[in-house]
Amino acid sequence: MKRFLLLGVFATLIYAPVAANAAQPWGLNDEEIVRFDATVVDLLCELTGDCPENCGDGKRQLGLIDGSGKLIPVFKNVVAFAGAAAELIGFCGKTVTADGLFSTNRGTTIFSLQFVREAPDGKWRKANRFLIKWAEDNGVAVDSNAAKTWFRNDPRVKALIAK
Amino acid sequence: MKSLFATIFGALLALALSAGSAAAARVTITGEVIDSWCYLTEIMYPLGTAHRQCALWCAAGGIPAAIVDDDGQVYIILKIETDSVNVANPTILDLQTNRITVEGDTFERDGITYLTIARVIENEGIVNLTADKYGIQPFGE
Repeated sequence: MKRFLLLGVFATLIYAPVAANAAQPWGLNDEEIVRFDATVVDLLCELTGDCPENCGDGKRQLGLIDGSGKLIPVFKNVVAFAGAAAELIGFCGKTVTADGLFSTNRGTTIFSLQFVREAPDGKWRKANRFLIKWAEDNGVAVDSNAAKTWFRNDPRVKALIAK
Repeated sequence: MKSLFATIFGALLALALSAGSAAAARVTITGEVIDSWCYLTEIMYPLGTAHRQCALWCAAGGIPAAIVDDDGQVYIILKIETDSVNVANPTILDLQTNRITVEGDTFERDGITYLTIARVIENEGIVNLTADKYGIQPFGE
């Protein structure tokens, strides 16, 4: 049953269009659809004071600090097997409205981002910047099968698996 | 009056601790390098050779890598040695699924434990041979 569930989740991430600007359930454990305003921060900077320009220019994991001061790392975007740095780097230090899922398992709550906009009324965008950038970097169309299954075509991964 | 001051001081202290840099604790940790999202969501079997390919995909995709120790404690890796790049870091990609012992600093914040690795003390390699039992996650190839 679990296998069918996860195949459904990945099929959704790879192929399905997402409804306009509203998070979809993924069937994760103890899942909650949420929308909140928060400031985009560089996690390493926030925790250690090591703060490069522009939150590390997309090379660092980013998080959100909500209105209560809670630091929320962003683990995932809507692209299969991809994280959220590319989605949020354009908003470093700014307040955004984040739309996505909290899910809780193994005693830990994590956040997956599906849509984001600059608060209070910026234009919504789907959290798929990773795929757009990957397609550009690898010289393929973003709607190509090569991009949709980027993980099977990524040269870094191929090299490591070949080792 | 005293209790009022104590309450205000406590509130300010809590605010300062939550808003600024967190206090570090020096630790030595032994565990497997994992993909944090697959492990924490348990969307599939997330350990060892069964999950190595997926863990590489996720690390290359920029999902935070982590170490899970033998007690199940998860440490989100934010730095390795002098390299503060933590999105698709090549050293972390090389270490995915390896069992390693590291010395570093942990930072606790809002229910998550973060780790900056000062040095890798030992690398036992890929020793968690789970593929025979669990297949190759998530697609079986």
